[in-house]
Amino acid sequence: MEQFRRIETGKTGNVHMVSFKDKKILDDTVLDEIRVEIAQLLGKAAGPDVLLDFSNVEFMSSAMLGLLGQMHRKISTGQGRLKMCGIRPEIFQVFKLTNLDKLFSIHKDAPAALATFT
Amino acid sequence: MDVLIAEDSRMQAKFLERKLTEAGHAVRWAENGSDALGLARQRRPDIIVSDIEMPVMTGYEFCKAVKTDPALRGVPFILLSTLSDPIDIIRGLDAGADNYVTKPYEPAFLLSRMNDLLATPLGVDDASSAATLEVSLAGQQFRVQAGRQQVLNLLVSTFENAVAKNQELVVANQQLAAARDGLQKSNTELTTLNTEISRINAQMVRDLEAAAKVQRSLLPADDVAIAAADVAWKYVPCQSLAGDFLNVFPLDDEHVGLFVVDVSGHGVPSSLMAVTVGRFLTPKVSDSSLLVRQAVDGGIVIVPPAEVATQLNRLFQADEFSGLYFTLLYGVLHVPTGRLDFVSGGHPALLRVPAAGGPPEFHPAEGFPIAFVPEVEYGQQSLQLSPGDRVYLYSDGVPEAMDAAQEPYGEEALVACVAGSRSEPLASSVEKLLAAVEAWCQPKGPLDDVSILGLEWRP
Repeated sequence: MEQFRRIETGKTGNVHMVSFKDKKILDDTVLDEIRVEIAQLLGKAAGPDVLLDFSNVEFMSSAMLGLLGQMHRKISTGQGRLKMCGIRPEIFQVFKLTNLDKLFSIHKDAPAALATFT
Repeated sequence: MDVLIAEDSRMQAKFLERKLTEAGHAVRWAENGSDALGLARQRRPDIIVSDIEMPVMTGYEFCKAVKTDPALRGVPFILLSTLSDPIDIIRGLDAGADNYVTKPYEPAFLLSRMNDLLATPLGVDDASSAATLEVSLAGQQFRVQAGRQQVLNLLVSTFENAVAKNQELVVANQQLAAARDGLQKSNTELTTLNTEISRINAQMVRDLEAAAKVQRSLLPADDVAIAAADVAWKYVPCQSLAGDFLNVFPLDDEHVGLFVVDVSGHGVPSSLMAVTVGRFLTPKVSDSSLLVRQAVDGGIVIVPPAEVATQLNRLFQADEFSGLYFTLLYGVLHVPTGRLDFVSGGHPALLRVPAAGGPPEFHPAEGFPIAFVPEVEYGQQSLQLSPGDRVYLYSDGVPEAMDAAQEPYGEEALVACVAGSRSEPLASSVEKLLAAVEAWCQPKGPLDDVSILGLEWRP
């Protein structure tokens, strides 16, 4: 298993599970590193199923949404599925404000999200 | 030759023994003066080398014992001294030492001393010519018995020691000078680099100022006058370059356009995108304007807001590398009727404050942020204003402004603020909202760009 600085990765069935080590994703540098690490993780996979777990994240800038948009586009182009879980109310507000809660598949926690992949 | 060493440090003794053995000498070693004297009486050495500070019997005492022993007095005696005090010389003279070598010493230096002493045999009778010298040093009187040859040897050795030390000093000095030259060179290079950094920095500041100026040109004209409507706006970028911008302008005799744009992120990349977006959102008919088109009859066609958003989204497909996107709220007010058509690409809800009283209402976005999802059609939203109704457009820097405890300002506070100022002129209402947001963010101030644009329909 590859070791990353910003993300923790695992696999349940065919689903790539990604969680974030940072409590705050505000800094551009942190965001760029997350972007690179996720690209490394998913680079070879065609149309992967991915679950992003935000339970560790307390603050997130709206620039992070840009990365989620890129992932969403790339993954759905390859017939994969991107889902998210563990988003706290303060962060969910960022999704709601931008109407993106309607674009992304967002679930309460990992078991609930994993159940929808089958 | 047969060398006798008196030295209490085993390590120094072994080192000296090895050097002397390598030079072809037979070496005996004792760790104090008393033992060394015993060895010397067992067999007369050719030369004695002795430390001064030793337990049981010091080097001075040992030396005196040798020089007063008729069988040993002719043996050259070298004292290893730190010579930290001129009195050491007097003590050495008094003890009858023939030579000094200052510690720390080079083995080669000691060997050459030994050879010199052996080449100049002491007159055994020197003692007979010994005179009593009276020396006054550091307020003390010394009476020293010393032969002339001994005085001469000791003086010469002291001088040679001084010369050797001086040479070491010269070398150290040269090294110091070299280090100083190196330092000066580094210093010069540093100054050059600093100058270069200052120059580049000044260039960047100029560029940023120029870019900020371009950005300000995207804002409404100071003297913007809209028929049958009041407008007021506040725009506070958190850095010199912002991702936010806003504008309000007449599109033709009957229509007013207004928008707030918020590009994700901050700084240069976001502001570059903001300026680029701004070029498409100009009310003047041009190749780039998405808001108005030349009509066949020579008049202009006002492009419906939803179509503007759809076009923008097509033009700004999410960049693979930057991941930049923007939110947009663009409205067109038909001045004669008060109908407001608008589109929201993921932008914070439009807020309407009814003139008739009653609670302000939010009209949230129905579309996704621009440059986020490829090839989507944006839907249009509509609102029928009543005379005196106000609408507020703002960036997420307003509801998402964080206080010291990371609590957002929030929509409730926003509603309370604009409802509280509904009886005041629009301009003061907008000012109060900005003041409230800035007060919320104390002591650090807003960390995001803050844009507020208010419009009151007054037919």
